[in-house]
Amino acid sequence: MKRTAERVLQAWIISRADDPEAVSALGVARKADMRLADLRRSRLIEIRGSGRSSSEAQTLLHASTQFYNPHKECCVLRESGSGPLPDGDHVSRVAVWERGDERRSAAERWWLHEAGETVEVREATVWAITSQPESAASAVVVELAMLRDARHGLLCNPWSQEYRMLGGAEPLPWISPQTNPS
Amino acid sequence: MTARIAILQLPGVNCETETGWALERAGLEAEVFRWTRAARGLRDFQGYVIPGGFSYQDRVRAGALAAKSPLIEVLAEEAERGKPVLGICNGAQVLVEAGLVPGGGRVELALARNRMTGRVGYYSCWVRVRIEESPCLFTHGMAPGSVLPLPMAHGEGRFTGAPGHMASLVRSGQVPLRYADARGEVASRFPDAPNGAEEAAAAVCNARGNVMAIMPHPERALDRGATARMMNGKWSAGAPGAPAADGPGLALFRALHGYLVEA
Repeated sequence: MKRTAERVLQAWIISRADDPEAVSALGVARKADMRLADLRRSRLIEIRGSGRSSSEAQTLLHASTQFYNPHKECCVLRESGSGPLPDGDHVSRVAVWERGDERRSAAERWWLHEAGETVEVREATVWAITSQPESAASAVVVELAMLRDARHGLLCNPWSQEYRMLGGAEPLPWISPQTNPS
Repeated sequence: MTARIAILQLPGVNCETETGWALERAGLEAEVFRWTRAARGLRDFQGYVIPGGFSYQDRVRAGALAAKSPLIEVLAEEAERGKPVLGICNGAQVLVEAGLVPGGGRVELALARNRMTGRVGYYSCWVRVRIEESPCLFTHGMAPGSVLPLPMAHGEGRFTGAPGHMASLVRSGQVPLRYADARGEVASRFPDAPNGAEEAAAAVCNARGNVMAIMPHPERALDRGATARMMNGKWSAGAPGAPAADGPGLALFRALHGYLVEA
């Protein structure tokens, strides 16, 4: 058993077909007069402490049902916080995860069993938001992210979840506790 | 004389039939109101139940999309006028996401993922809930401290909010039902406290007491014979009473009948 403390592998899990969850969320947002042109969803999995090469990690992720279904989803692996993101260009992104429940213990046990490594696996949902051209993107993202009442906000209930706006190049990991803006 | 209750059937809801049985057995007239109907039609009813299930497949978050539905908008207006609204399980999640409990319009709580000892995810079992002092109409007439056995089945039933908020709701009587242990004391650990809810809250109501979000399923405990073998006292397997006699869950629907018809 070994552990590489600082290294973070970031897996983006993207649906191969239209994502009904994103379609529904987009419909609700438009009905609430949020100025959205498009909304897409990815699952973001971060694996901390693995010494496996990128190709080995890709093989492990593919082999397990803990991470994604390769018949329905594709997986893009990143090892640094720079470079293009796989969910499109010219979008604003917000990551949402369950506060205190972002760890995936079953996936960690699987990784230990299969790869002989003790790792931490965390999962978040990344929403890629395309606002309408005349709208201020950052305002739209905040409005959509933070649930306030029945009319305002959707993606993150601040009493059980956290969200983080994802900018350009940022060092990994991205899924880490912080304080939501109120 | 009776009262008409609308059972909101949002897409993915799956407990509307037994909820209808519960209402009818309590003496109320029940009608399933599908999401495809015009929302204004809800105004003709005297009360509302949002049953359990998985509305909109729990997309985004359990109850999140349903809370934005035009039906819920009308429901909020009718609740403001004092009409009773009961949300069971997924219905409770909808009420929380819509800010109808604990009330005031702003979302002040979440029903987060269960936190349990030695397991994660969905959990289905019988639990004990204790009646607390409350203005809630759904527990009106029930003795504080008495215990009802009810089944629960959910993955996201942990009431949580800002630090201290749930405790303040307990003090103001807005937690009418709390999980209890075999002695009838408020549960403090799994499995008596089955999901890690703050203050062992099994239900939360608004300040007026006419809107209640409850995570266990009273509509699945209509017959006395259906109560779990683990229960003791009045609801134990050895206690007198025919299997088809009234079960513990019916008490909440009878309280609704009492509020609407007998009062």
